[in-house]
Amino acid sequence: MTLNRRTLLKAGLAALAVPAVAACNNGAAARGDGEIIYWLWDSAQLPMYTECAKVFHEQNPQYSVKIEQYGWNDYWSKLVTGFISDTAPDVFTGHSSKYPLFADKGQVLAIDDYVAKDNVDLGIYQKGLADRWIGADGKRYGLPKDWDTEVYFYNSAFTEAAGISTEQLNSMTWNPKDGGTFEQIVRRLTVDSKGRRGDQPGFDKDNVKVYGLGYADAGGGDGQTSWSWYAAINGWKYSEGEPWGTKFFYGDPKFTETIGWWRGLITKGYMPTYAQAKSGVDVTTSFGAGKYAITPNGSWMLGTYGTLKQVKTKLARLPIGPVGKRMSMMNGLADTIWAGTTRRDASWAWVKFLGSQTAQDIVAKAGVVFPAVAASMPAAKAAFAKSGWDVTPFLEPVEAGDVFPYPANPNAADVTAVMTPAMESVMSFEAEPGSLAKANDDVNKILSANT
Amino acid sequence: MTRQVSVGRTVAWILLFVLLIVTLFPFYWMLRTAFSDNTQLPGHPNSLLPVETTLGAFKRVLGLASIEEAQAQGGSGAAVNFWLYLRNSLVVATITTVCQVFFSAMAAYAFARLRWPGRDKVFALFLAALMVPPIFTTLPNFVLIKNLGLLNSFAGIILPGAFMTPFAIFFLRQFFLSINRELEEAAMIDGAGHRRIFFGLIIPMSAAPIATLAILTYINSWNDYFWPLLVGQQENVRVLTVALGVFRSQTPQGGPDWAGLMAATLIAALPMIILFLAFAKRITNSIGFSGIK
Amino acid sequence: MIFIAPATLGFVVFYIWPTLRGAYLSFTEYSLLSAPKFNGLANYERMVQDSFFWNALGVTVEYVVINIGVQTVLAVGIAMLMYRLTKSITVRAVILAPYLVANVVVALVWYWMLDVQVGIVNTFLGWVGIDPVAFFGDSHWAIPTVAGINVWRHMGYTALLVFAGLQTIPKYVYEAAEVDGSTEWKTFWRITLPLLRPVLVMVLVVTMIGSFQIFDTVAVTTQGGPINATRVIYYYIYERAFTRFDFGYASAMALVLFAILAVVSLLQLRLLRAKESDLA
Repeated sequence: MTLNRRTLLKAGLAALAVPAVAACNNGAAARGDGEIIYWLWDSAQLPMYTECAKVFHEQNPQYSVKIEQYGWNDYWSKLVTGFISDTAPDVFTGHSSKYPLFADKGQVLAIDDYVAKDNVDLGIYQKGLADRWIGADGKRYGLPKDWDTEVYFYNSAFTEAAGISTEQLNSMTWNPKDGGTFEQIVRRLTVDSKGRRGDQPGFDKDNVKVYGLGYADAGGGDGQTSWSWYAAINGWKYSEGEPWGTKFFYGDPKFTETIGWWRGLITKGYMPTYAQAKSGVDVTTSFGAGKYAITPNGSWMLGTYGTLKQVKTKLARLPIGPVGKRMSMMNGLADTIWAGTTRRDASWAWVKFLGSQTAQDIVAKAGVVFPAVAASMPAAKAAFAKSGWDVTPFLEPVEAGDVFPYPANPNAADVTAVMTPAMESVMSFEAEPGSLAKANDDVNKILSANT
Repeated sequence: MTRQVSVGRTVAWILLFVLLIVTLFPFYWMLRTAFSDNTQLPGHPNSLLPVETTLGAFKRVLGLASIEEAQAQGGSGAAVNFWLYLRNSLVVATITTVCQVFFSAMAAYAFARLRWPGRDKVFALFLAALMVPPIFTTLPNFVLIKNLGLLNSFAGIILPGAFMTPFAIFFLRQFFLSINRELEEAAMIDGAGHRRIFFGLIIPMSAAPIATLAILTYINSWNDYFWPLLVGQQENVRVLTVALGVFRSQTPQGGPDWAGLMAATLIAALPMIILFLAFAKRITNSIGFSGIK
Repeated sequence: MIFIAPATLGFVVFYIWPTLRGAYLSFTEYSLLSAPKFNGLANYERMVQDSFFWNALGVTVEYVVINIGVQTVLAVGIAMLMYRLTKSITVRAVILAPYLVANVVVALVWYWMLDVQVGIVNTFLGWVGIDPVAFFGDSHWAIPTVAGINVWRHMGYTALLVFAGLQTIPKYVYEAAEVDGSTEWKTFWRITLPLLRPVLVMVLVVTMIGSFQIFDTVAVTTQGGPINATRVIYYYIYERAFTRFDFGYASAMALVLFAILAVVSLLQLRLLRAKESDLA
């Protein structure tokens, strides 16, 4: 080879030198012992947690918090990468669908000792909320920060035009046979392209302009914002021993008849076909464009509905079912500590602070989510009222204790992988609701294999 | 030219025109959305003009809007330091492109023209790297970069792509193969070594493909998202795509800030459009005097 | 040797090593969060019985066929049009423009435009009297839709590669053809296409490999649905690895995907005799 080695070497070195110099400038800055890193995914909550971090630092000058925010999908990928490479944040926002597995794999820190040592009063939280963060092994993995339930978001211009009163909307009944007054209201709210309502003669179910009820998806294994409350008020439970189910009941007739009724709304033309529902940007956009009269959704979506300026949105209670009451899923987030953190005390101090009324009052005043501390709730209610929301329908089932938990499970992702296609098949009429019994067997097989 | 051909040309022009329309319409739609008021968008899905025309989205992207303003318009609560991210993107994309194209060209030359034992087998191996699923490479590479202490540095972001990509080598090799050997042999007879042939003959003669590759590499590097997200999160090395990721997903079920997202996309693409126009001129020029045409 | 030294360094560190590691992990049970446990061929045995895996392969092949078929024809067409009609840089810039936009954003824009209820495309269809199409929600439309979106993004890019190839064809070849009185159509089939072969092979191999690894568009739009209509292999691998923490099994599938790609590429290279150029 006649190549001039020196020239090449120089070129190579020059190319390497630039990044190397840059590395010196920007290399991972050494972090002080008291500085912890905290992650969350909701950018709408970034300002209020920044405020919390400020107050926390004032109260605990030896500690400081650096907050980083990543969108939902990036958040989990980056978190897992962090676990593997020892670069995870000291404290992060946890979700009931994810933390059981992390706990199972020893990635999150049990805080029982800290809670006992500092005498943390778990009674300040909304009923039942703190216990959601006790894992299947009986250890506590987080302090709750907020909670959510579901209600119906409805377009009040449509309900007024249909002559449906607020009282009617708030006293709906439901059953799996004829859908109760709920179905009557949905039927009336459905309008075809010629302006005929679902309960008027000549209604053309193949050319519907406004659907009475919208839905985002088939609900997968939890149906949180799609079918969970119908199934619950029909007397159905997800599994034996909620929330740490060892045996699921998706094959139960109470469940399959609920789903059978639900998809019947598609046949009747009150709800879009599954293909249509899934071929959209999201359910709120269609709602904002006036394509749906009612969409069920969770309290975390209040902000999004609030930005839909073309429609006047109001909230209605979920219906009363055969069990004689209304029920809603209650879920929430908590702050959890990474097991690999080298700053346990600082991390715990921050978690404890976020779980305190001081922090939750700050969160409450921002009016984005419902704080976990019961005493902070009035501030949140007032903040939401300022944005024009009367959030009572979200609160009622919590106060009455008529809530059920998200079906938490270390194998949640596997359950979802089976249930999502199974539910989609049913909703697109490629399979009968009875086929869910087979899916249920698959789910239970996964659970028994992994325990 | 016969009459037949000119009919053909008319049809061809019409085809090209249709293709251009299809190509451009989504961009118009992005523009229309970017100039709209995010909160009004869902109500007017079919309006061909911007809805409640506003510059709000661009202000959010450039970091000129306060967080309260941004949130009132359905945007995010994260601050954006646009010019810093732009600089970082320029640094990363430029260094990556220069290194990658240069090193790949050298390797491609070795595969196309030099004779050495096992050459084709090694080339096949390199080619196989094209098929390595990214799921294999991301995690080990991340751990490596972390162990090298290069997290949150430009070096960490650049390094995996700096030496080669199988595509670049493959691409250039195919072009080097089609260069007329006679010129090279003539140069050999004149006593030129491989280095002189490479720099003096091969590179100038392949100006068009090299420029094309450089542009594509630049675009890819500019648009890269997941790797810089993993490696370079801190402000001082955060690139534009990572910073603008905040416009994409906020809450799991919430829709993105559409107007902001479109404005961000257009602004992020702008430097590359300028670059392309500048480079494309050079490509056509270089074809003019490269002597093989 | 110095010519390939830097490339080899990058190759070994950032490709070979991770691949070997991935290959090893495919014989283990590895949840990412705890240490890998060797389990022999168990992952491969599971794969044979996993109907999701076979479905994913089928869906992916459908996608690749549509995507590559449409894209290659369009790209060669565009390249020819550009070559024969105009040297305009603006046209070239416009054609490449979709490639400037990141995958994920392209998917989001089209997702919005193709919405069955509020999308502009269905409004246009309505104007010419066509009923709205549930592009993403209808299991028959979902894969062609995803493929179409990626054709839109990549056709300019591919056209540019082909265009670069066209530029290396010496002018005298065409002049000779013209003297012989060959028509434009005949010239294309007899001269342009054969001379374009080395570049075309490269384009086909590269786009085919990229096409098999389709992920972003699916992740942003359909997420594998409706039912399993768009659960392409790479999406399924990703799901297994990072949402279900079954990295060992995911590695095994990735390795099989790797093997499939290697065979397909090898066949392509053989069939099209890419090694020699007709000019060399």
